[in-house]
Amino acid sequence: MRLSRRALIKDGLLVVSAGMVMPAIFSRGVASARAMSLEGSRFAQAASERTLIVVQMAGGNDGLNTVIPFTDPLYHQMRPTLAIPDAQVLMLDTRLGLHPSLKALQPLWEQGHLAIVEGVGYPNQSLSHFQAMDIWQTLDLSGNGTEGWLGKLVSGWVDQDGHPFKALDVGVQTAQALQSISTPVPTVASVNAYRVYPDPADRDASNARMQALMKLYSSYPKTSPYAALLDTTALNAQDGSSQLLQADATYKPAVTYPTGAFAEGLKILAEAIVQGLGLRVGYVTLGGFDTHANQQATHAALMQTLAEGLSAFYNDLDAHGKADNVVVMTWSEFGRRVEENGSLGTDHGTAAPMFVLGKPINKGIYGEPPSLSSLDSNGNLKYTVDFRSVYATVLDRWLGASSKDVLGGSYGSQNFLPQP
Amino acid sequence: MSINDDDLYNQPTEPRRKLDATGRSVGASGMGNTGGMGAVPVGAGSARPGPRPQATPTGPVSGQVIPPTPAPASRPQQGQKQGRQAMSRRRLLGASLLGIAGLGTIGVAGGLALNWAEKDGFASLFHTAASNAQTGHLLRRAGFGASPADMQTYKSLGFEGAVDRLLNYQQVSDDALESRLKALNLNLNRPVDQQRWWLLRMAWTQRPLLEKMTLFWHGVLTSSFRKVGGKNFFMRMINQNQFLRAHAFDTFDNILLGITADPAMLFYLDLTKSRKNHPNENYARELMELFTLGLGHYTQQDVSEGAAALTGWHVDGLTSRYIPADHNNLVKHYLGQTGNFDYRDVVRILTNHPATPWFLARKLFTFFVYENPSTDDLKPLVDSYVESGHNIGAVMRTLLLSPQFSSQKAYRARIKSPTEFVVGAYRALELQGSGLALPTMTTLMGQALFDPPNVAGWPGDKVSALWLNSGTWMTRLNYIDLLLVRGGATGREQAQPLDLQSVVNANRIDSPEKFVDYYASFLLDGMLDSDRRSLLVDYFSTPDVSRGGGQITLTSGKSYPLNRVRGTLYLMMASPEYQLN
Repeated sequence: MRLSRRALIKDGLLVVSAGMVMPAIFSRGVASARAMSLEGSRFAQAASERTLIVVQMAGGNDGLNTVIPFTDPLYHQMRPTLAIPDAQVLMLDTRLGLHPSLKALQPLWEQGHLAIVEGVGYPNQSLSHFQAMDIWQTLDLSGNGTEGWLGKLVSGWVDQDGHPFKALDVGVQTAQALQSISTPVPTVASVNAYRVYPDPADRDASNARMQALMKLYSSYPKTSPYAALLDTTALNAQDGSSQLLQADATYKPAVTYPTGAFAEGLKILAEAIVQGLGLRVGYVTLGGFDTHANQQATHAALMQTLAEGLSAFYNDLDAHGKADNVVVMTWSEFGRRVEENGSLGTDHGTAAPMFVLGKPINKGIYGEPPSLSSLDSNGNLKYTVDFRSVYATVLDRWLGASSKDVLGGSYGSQNFLPQP
Repeated sequence: MSINDDDLYNQPTEPRRKLDATGRSVGASGMGNTGGMGAVPVGAGSARPGPRPQATPTGPVSGQVIPPTPAPASRPQQGQKQGRQAMSRRRLLGASLLGIAGLGTIGVAGGLALNWAEKDGFASLFHTAASNAQTGHLLRRAGFGASPADMQTYKSLGFEGAVDRLLNYQQVSDDALESRLKALNLNLNRPVDQQRWWLLRMAWTQRPLLEKMTLFWHGVLTSSFRKVGGKNFFMRMINQNQFLRAHAFDTFDNILLGITADPAMLFYLDLTKSRKNHPNENYARELMELFTLGLGHYTQQDVSEGAAALTGWHVDGLTSRYIPADHNNLVKHYLGQTGNFDYRDVVRILTNHPATPWFLARKLFTFFVYENPSTDDLKPLVDSYVESGHNIGAVMRTLLLSPQFSSQKAYRARIKSPTEFVVGAYRALELQGSGLALPTMTTLMGQALFDPPNVAGWPGDKVSALWLNSGTWMTRLNYIDLLLVRGGATGREQAQPLDLQSVVNANRIDSPEKFVDYYASFLLDGMLDSDRRSLLVDYFSTPDVSRGGGQITLTSGKSYPLNRVRGTLYLMMASPEYQLN
């Protein structure tokens, strides 16, 4: 299907074989590919084999217990019950170490495939989950943005190859980072649910029924409510499901993934990469980080889920010879308060570390861990690295997109990826 | 996250809960959603059927010092007199219309063939044959859509009469529903049974607005079973749900006092863990940000001072207790006021804060009418809130009778939520099954009840377009298939296809056009453009090359292949129009 689809596109015209539903989105895609290459679009230059996987840690991850300043006496002082004992810390250098449940990431560090960006935040950080998530995803510091930074990126990319999987979100709801007005992103909860089932009474496996349905969608008056969304969603689904199912039929993971939704989600992304669906941006979310009370066990479990999932994902890609093509970046809307609260937990905080991992990465710790002795008026960390400089780095140095255009400004860069 | 069987109908019938490597259980929604803020995963699926709780718990349980226990939701009385006068006129009109467009006799779709975009909204249709649109719209927003019987009942009341019936729900018996739910012997300490219990309640209730309102509150004053104290206490979610139902139209003060004292909420936002000398900020912050004021109306100092004022709560089994000795007695500076405040003062200050009615009105208007309301849209709701002493029933009456509610702008202005879609289709087709498949379906569509993605509830409640993506769209289609092909039964159950022959016979459907019109009359308000109607009729009438899948015989005596007849109904429910609310 993938190949034949490409072969069908000739001179911007789509030849559709009998019985096939007319995928209007592709004719539009081709038209816009033309227009954009005429304009010399900056997006069109993007390298085609490279993929960015974004992992959202929803709820506000406790950065201080993730990448631990274990030699700082203030850390132990302000966290009498929650500080990780020195003996358990997985040391990275003389001042920082990983949470013990991140053990599965240690080999990646040792092999040189893990980078940590310390102290990431932005000016006047919001302690609201939702405003902070809005800001991280839309880059509008007022928290009123609607278009996601990744949505803006992928909708700017042209669809020369007829691949619907430029971006793929695992889950039941498209992340705000991937929202764009023009390009709904395929959102997959599970491969098996990502298809339309036929009526057993239909002798043609519901082909005629699907054709009639697509006619109802394409003829739905364009001025009607949600017309564009409905139309593109239906087309997107119709085409994407057959590609994904075909890919799924021959994909064999090279490792055993941990059970659980997070690792299952990473497996779907690995499948899309290994099977060459054209994935450029993948997105998956791990939730549950809002540890206001009884943090220790919850946070340890989350660290383990994160590390073991990412490790399996990396090893799977590596075994398939794809590890050179993939960079993973994690983020969370904020870190947590330096001082623990009275409920064995931590309240909302500010700056926190991000992980960037993959074979193309320059191992190391970037940015500066915020000082524990110079906190803001709420007892929170002062950020040292603007999150947009991390985004800019993956855009400019990895995806070959212009960060200035996507982010709407210049925010510098970090050196965890080499200059192209 | 994978569904192992190839066949949809063999899908596991409950949200898949697996233990991951860390021994946490992870649900189908546990990842795709933005992740419960406080969603500490608990042994969700492993909940053993404990002692069977009563099928219909008796309302909220909240300790000894429960805030002024509100009387059963006060009935909105305002405006009833005028309403009644106006109603009789419309009732008369409605009755005359029944003769022309009565349900079960002939459909109205083809005859009207309206392109809504060309009309100027309800105003022009109010006194004409559009009362299917009016009634359908009302029932979709203030309920879960119309079955043929609903359409008949509510249409005959006229619009204001219908609004009265919805608001004065105590006057409508729901005994049949209660006994049917009881007969299912659900284990209400089990999340998946909790979801069935509520989804079937919504599908079968004769008090649709009460359930819709409860759903609204569940999306605002929300909690998740994943963090209410562990698997032995999942029942706290049902108790919270019963509280929200019992007080759905009460004063906002009583609702906030009750939810503050609610055991599930006390766990979900950690108030039960808050100590007088070390207050926990979680509830204090979200109470202002998400329940009453919204961002920009408070400072971090208000959060910490509010947290101190709210201390003193404990949970004891299924009840809660306020212990004054555990309350922080220092003087607090909270939202510009100063005093030794406690939770009652916090609620009083918040419900009387000028930002609150606007915040609440925006939530209600967005959920029930359309998104991005203007100040003018919200003003009457705000006035009702203030004039009625914060009575939600009064605000809802104002909302439902507002010109905005019945405007063209509101018509089909939201994407159906998963609950609206799943329940609406079940209700419209008058299915009577076990509801075993419903939790999986709503979860895969993006809404697992009692398990919101985070403390802000479902983003789709605010921006309904977020409900729709390629994955959820296909699940919607597959759900329709499941209803038609298997009568909604899962792979575990004996399946019975939807009995279309009986529908044809009972409604004397004698042509493909009649079939389309019949279903369009209550599924699509009879609002079907003539081109689109033709497309459906063509599909119905096109003979298949190969046959053998059964037949449906119309009352004219002419037979059509089952797949074509069933497929036509599928197309109507899979159509763009049907995705809208």
